[in-house]
Amino acid sequence: MGVEIKSEHIDIGGKSVILVSVNGGSAVMGTCSAGYGAKRGDTSAQTRLFYIGSNPAAEILCPNHGSKNSDKLISLCTGYSFMDEDIHSTLTDCLNRLNRGESLTAGLHDALALLPDGVYTLYLSDYYTTDGAGTFFWGAYNLTHEIHGTAEHNRVIGRNKTYRPCFLIPGVPLDTFDNKTLPITNEAVKSRAVQGIVYHLSGLHSVLLKGHHGAVSCTNAKIPFKCAVIEKLDEPYTDEYIPVTPAPAPSPEPKSSENPTESPEEQDQPQNSIPAHQNAEIPSHEGITGFRSASVKIPLELIPRDMIKTIIEHRFEYKPEHYRTLQRKLGTVRKKSYSNKVIPRQALEISEQMPDCEMMESVFSVEKLTQAQLDALLAGETELNGEIIISPNFYASIVTACNFLQYTNPKKFIEFSLAILDNTELYATHEYIANRISRIISKDVYAFFKAIIANGDPGYEKILPIAEKYISFYDKQTENK
Amino acid sequence: MAFCDLKPVRIINDSTGIVYIIGDVFAVYANAPVPAAYSWDQIQSVIEDRKALTIKTENCDFVIPKKDFSHQEDYFRALAIIECAQKSGGFIYEHQRRILPLKSEYIETDPGKDAYSGSCEIDENDAAATFIMLMNFKLVKVLWLLAIMLILLIFLVLHLTVGIDRDNVLYFIPISIIGGAILTLIVYLICYGIARSKYTSVAGCDPASQEQITFIISPYGFAACESCIYEDQELIPWGSLDYFVESDKMFVFYKDGRTSVFVPKKAFEKKYLGGIADIISLKLEQR
Repeated sequence: MGVEIKSEHIDIGGKSVILVSVNGGSAVMGTCSAGYGAKRGDTSAQTRLFYIGSNPAAEILCPNHGSKNSDKLISLCTGYSFMDEDIHSTLTDCLNRLNRGESLTAGLHDALALLPDGVYTLYLSDYYTTDGAGTFFWGAYNLTHEIHGTAEHNRVIGRNKTYRPCFLIPGVPLDTFDNKTLPITNEAVKSRAVQGIVYHLSGLHSVLLKGHHGAVSCTNAKIPFKCAVIEKLDEPYTDEYIPVTPAPAPSPEPKSSENPTESPEEQDQPQNSIPAHQNAEIPSHEGITGFRSASVKIPLELIPRDMIKTIIEHRFEYKPEHYRTLQRKLGTVRKKSYSNKVIPRQALEISEQMPDCEMMESVFSVEKLTQAQLDALLAGETELNGEIIISPNFYASIVTACNFLQYTNPKKFIEFSLAILDNTELYATHEYIANRISRIISKDVYAFFKAIIANGDPGYEKILPIAEKYISFYDKQTENK
Repeated sequence: MAFCDLKPVRIINDSTGIVYIIGDVFAVYANAPVPAAYSWDQIQSVIEDRKALTIKTENCDFVIPKKDFSHQEDYFRALAIIECAQKSGGFIYEHQRRILPLKSEYIETDPGKDAYSGSCEIDENDAAATFIMLMNFKLVKVLWLLAIMLILLIFLVLHLTVGIDRDNVLYFIPISIIGGAILTLIVYLICYGIARSKYTSVAGCDPASQEQITFIISPYGFAACESCIYEDQELIPWGSLDYFVESDKMFVFYKDGRTSVFVPKKAFEKKYLGGIADIISLKLEQR
């Protein structure tokens, strides 16, 4: 049976969302569960694999029995050298088609045919070419380590909000980096509308399937790395149901007068122990509201019927037919866990300056912060006019506010951070804020740090090492200039 | 999650036209254009009785008669999905008595190269014989004690009713012994009947007793699961068991003082039984 790919454009609050259903996909690219590591004595961390063709590409350790609230430990798989040539050429062809002006659905058609059955959403989005902690993505996953921001349910953003994944995991190891390709991609990226193709993996992170050299070129040239994103729509979500307040009836029915507190919804609710034949009376707010991916929530009513069928009549994840091969390869010893290839220094330095995971979490969790709210936070309040500003936890509020400002308004960030550091009562937040602000080269920050060293105030003892380091770095920078 | 590759089960109620889907979500196609779908954490309870599965949500009870499952395999698949979902969903799960462990006890892990696998139906006679062996194991001292007490009791009753003297004592001693032995044998036969009916009643509740069962014994755990749904990737860790007893026909695993699994030796090739016994005795205490 051939692959059947159907697409629909859905309007959600004035925003058009592309949904694509894949039936009969070849499933040569995707994720699957690989169970517990009982062999290595670990029965609390579940393993998942991202596979490309016959190779396990990335191993994802999900601690706490695969809890969706926990960040994952990710590394490129041992023994993985490059994706199969036919898959690579399909992806190259897809990227070329997108850059020839074809729509996302048409351009990505062949790439979608490589995926397992399911419903996906497609969109374009800018990605930061880092792992979310300031390291250039391509060489950041050689060793298994915890990647911040990879939890499906991000604690800062919360379970209910949507967010756009913006950090990368390489789809090929660093060994495939070729310096000689860079001059070609340096030119190519200037004219490209779409720089890469990514597949959303977990949390804020996506796997870059195509466009690795382009990512280096874009970072060097400070060109936004715009990617075509493929995101699976498979997580059920439930929005809080707010019952409609009953309007005062002009002539109340005798039944309602007997029980005036009962809302119409409650009256409509079927009694317990309903036999199967009465199930047609399921209250409309019963059950889940719809299905979501990281970036979009789609109510059941808006999902085409055949797509709902595809979602609910398939498991969210299946093992591919060649799972045994993947599993066998998973254990092979990598010839080397490092690479001799070196990414240009400039790209690495620019990556360090890119927004990190904490900043992006704050951006997705806070819609806006007014001056009044910032003043309230500075006064040690977590609420303004009876409403919680960010979080009931003061420390979390300050941290989130700082990260939010650092991304949206760097000037205000410096003002706000210095105001916090100036207030000795907010001592608990000083170390974190000093660390964040020390990444910014600013005269005001320099002056502040210089002053606290000069004053020798014991209240600033904790941040003195940060201040000293900053001053020496700043002085060196000025001398170089 | 264990059994994560099992396909969702579609059940159609012919009389009402309602379609139920048991998968990663529980969905109900009633008369509305959009199905009502529930994530498993929205399910309050699942009750399995002899005739139906009842899935309770906040406002509705969905009763799915067992006869609506088109194949027996669908039923096993539905139960496996529900039992695995129960582990994360946390709903109340009431079920019929089982001859096999619940699927929620499994973890997804590779059995490894050193695993032994085999399959067979659990033979009722073998299981009953093992039950009886276990009963003997427990009752043998009690039965001896009972026999002695009955002998003494009969002797006493004869003495009180007939009166024992030198002439009849030689008759009364064998009568007491034979009487005590017969009564003890009757007690033993009653226990035998109870033991056998105990297995048949459990087997009667669980359709798995009529199914081919796959058994896996691996250094990392074991499995005893209906062959039609087993995926070769699930094991119950040894740590979840307490001890085992070996009979001539079966290994019997115990958990919390109760039998958890019967592993018939006939499921495996004879030449592997030594290796299997080695793995089990390394992992569990033998009693």
